[in-house]
Amino acid sequence: MTAIDAGPRRRAGDRPPAVAELIDEATVTEITEQAWLALVGEDEVLVPLPAPLPADTLSSWVGITGPWTGTVVLTTGRDTAVELTRALLREHAPEVLEDEDVDDALGELANVVGGNVKAVLPGPSALGLPEVGATPPAGSPADTLRVDVLWRGQPLTVSVQSPLHTEEENEVPL
Amino acid sequence: MKILVADDSRVMRQIVIRTLRQAGYDDHDIVEAEDGRDAYEKVQSEGPDLVLSDWNMPNMTGLECLQALRGSGSSVPFGFVTSEGSAEMREKAADAGALFLIAKPFTADTFSEHLDAVLA
Repeated sequence: MTAIDAGPRRRAGDRPPAVAELIDEATVTEITEQAWLALVGEDEVLVPLPAPLPADTLSSWVGITGPWTGTVVLTTGRDTAVELTRALLREHAPEVLEDEDVDDALGELANVVGGNVKAVLPGPSALGLPEVGATPPAGSPADTLRVDVLWRGQPLTVSVQSPLHTEEENEVPL
Repeated sequence: MKILVADDSRVMRQIVIRTLRQAGYDDHDIVEAEDGRDAYEKVQSEGPDLVLSDWNMPNMTGLECLQALRGSGSSVPFGFVTSEGSAEMREKAADAGALFLIAKPFTADTFSEHLDAVLA
């Protein structure tokens, strides 16, 4: 940790707040549950239980820039992402979903969860556009708040993560 | 009556349209726009009675679209449906001439609450 990577808003010696000082797991879980109930369906409850993610995952994420800067990342199995897309589109879901549809659906969920996380964090801050891919930006393992839930029995994680502030920072894509 | 739904996410446009139906606005014509610029152009060409717009969109944001519309003399009723509902954004929206800001996630009741006065 150095003062140099703390961003132009901060004076030398200031340290960005740790995410755990700003938001807790219960709040992130509640935000995610609300998004699921309103968007996926009113019976679509999330069960707060950890379970291992499958090998083939898809993530969506949005960046938040402000007094706290970091990323909100949703990760689930690719098959679950497809099922989520069908649940969101309901009768408008085509028989064969395009990757674009799945990216759009998972991205929009990250956008809604991220927007509501942003509202809890100190402002003013800006929300980026959602991005989707197999490999989300690397976060600081020591400064990440992660929530594990099950949707229809399948694992899904929501991480609110500060960026890496080490020499490994060049691993942070995008 | 015609409602223009602007969102860069097709999935979210479907959800907004579904929620409009659930809120009882199922006899309105719906026009879709995929970003702020598209929305701006479709307000000119389609003449909607209400615009429901996302905030964060590529090419032209919802706020820029609203400002461009007001700058061109359009007084079309305009409301935001966005994942960000901070006091700061509500103030910016109101200052630009938006009637309301509905934060995602939303329910049919939230839609009725804000739209009844406009579409009644």
